[in-house]
Amino acid sequence: MITSGIEEKTFALNLGPQHPSTHGVLRVLLEMDGEYIVKAEPVIGYGHRGHEHMAENRNYQQFLPNMGRVDYLHALAFNQGYCMAVEKLIGVTVPERAEFIRVILNEMNRLTSHLLWVGAYLMDLGAFTPFLYCFDDRERLLDLLDRITGSRLTYCFFRFGGVPVDLDDEFIFGTRAFIKRLRSRWVDYDNLVTKNVIFINRARDVGIITREMAVQYGVTGPTLRGSGIPYDIRKSEPYSAYPLFDFEIPVGENGDILDRYVVRMREMEQSLRIIEQALDKLPNGPIMAEKVPKRLKPAAGEVYQAVETARGEFGCYVVSQGDIKPYRIKLRVPSFSNLSILPEILKDTLVADAVAILGSIDVVIPEIDR
Amino acid sequence: MLIDSISKALAPLNLEAVASGDYAKTGYHLEVTALPEQLPAIAQALLQENCFLASFTAVHTGPETFTLVYHFASFDELCRTAVHATLPKGAEAPTISHIYGGADWYEREVYDLYGIRFAGHPNLKRLLLPEDADFHPLLKEFAATAETEK
Repeated sequence: MITSGIEEKTFALNLGPQHPSTHGVLRVLLEMDGEYIVKAEPVIGYGHRGHEHMAENRNYQQFLPNMGRVDYLHALAFNQGYCMAVEKLIGVTVPERAEFIRVILNEMNRLTSHLLWVGAYLMDLGAFTPFLYCFDDRERLLDLLDRITGSRLTYCFFRFGGVPVDLDDEFIFGTRAFIKRLRSRWVDYDNLVTKNVIFINRARDVGIITREMAVQYGVTGPTLRGSGIPYDIRKSEPYSAYPLFDFEIPVGENGDILDRYVVRMREMEQSLRIIEQALDKLPNGPIMAEKVPKRLKPAAGEVYQAVETARGEFGCYVVSQGDIKPYRIKLRVPSFSNLSILPEILKDTLVADAVAILGSIDVVIPEIDR
Repeated sequence: MLIDSISKALAPLNLEAVASGDYAKTGYHLEVTALPEQLPAIAQALLQENCFLASFTAVHTGPETFTLVYHFASFDELCRTAVHATLPKGAEAPTISHIYGGADWYEREVYDLYGIRFAGHPNLKRLLLPEDADFHPLLKEFAATAETEK
């Protein structure tokens, strides 16, 4: 007996916790009526490591490496959110060149995240080839990021007050070459997937998220923008060097799987535009703020800093009580809110669509579990 | 301006404080202080203004008190609202999960980590920790690890 309260005419089906398409350890308890889902209940917490508790028993710098392990696919955005929150608390201004470097690396990291999603998601739907294309492109990005940050996945690169390592010519040259390369690949992606009638028919009108649902559950990121709401923190609450660049916020119309896919694909081109402009305008100057104290002891107070990650709004809420350790850090993670809408959109759909819908909201489970 | 219409909507609720915040310092445009029992009315008013619940958590502020912290934002206009409510230890807070569906998980998380119960929550059980855990890890008296910095 898995759960009580299930009527005789329905049966329980466990999706996960070990299931290749949940991309992590997520369990969804489905109550089924034949092939239709009557009720879906996500069960989370399998990857809970207690990041928020860890934050309370180490100092501000010691908590930095944790940020790469919350959302391992867009770690630099989490680096940035946390750094910006602490910089606000201690009143440090980041030099312009460092802000540009942050934006460039952040957008490259967003590209790696979206490329992985496209590949892995299409594999969920049964298409193997796009995965190889995406990972080929992604690998080149990882090499470039590795060159500057020293790691391929769980980045811990930004510091309070700037960045520790400057960009070099080889990186800039390689990144420009990559931008050119990825642009030439859009045709392939379009022909393989975006214009593929099998994919379009599979994805259209499935898993629709409405505006009302999004407000109810606090859905953000491409999952929200697929429903036609142009909410992107890079634009609506500009931070770092983003206001200096010209880019668009792609939105969908119906809020179905297809729209969420198209939004992510179009977002990648916008990321390329941002990187290109940032490389063109890259100012000279220091990459670290002067006089950042080694021993941080922010005055009592609290701050909420939001940044746009590949999955939506990451809010870093830091409470200081004038100690060397944070008094409380709450990580508002986008996948948490985005996944909490799942029972709503899985209701009355076919079980065959469950994986397609779950994948389309692009959740990173360790981020939800923290 | 959204900030004005929110302030106007909250005015009849007779709250302890509704003040504009120092955005550059805290990231809030509007800071609200209220009693726990006023929270459902506040949530209802903010939903009417098309705000979404960005995050909800608690802070163990004193040995016998918690502060409940709600962050609201809007898809249409930049206006971040923070709502603070002080709750004595052992007291129940009212749920807002019937107003904001997203609050369901947030309240379960706060129950899980702090042991705060939410009156009227339809499914108040642990979210992140195992079902049989017998502790609430974010209470200040809970110590899982040795001090790392002396």
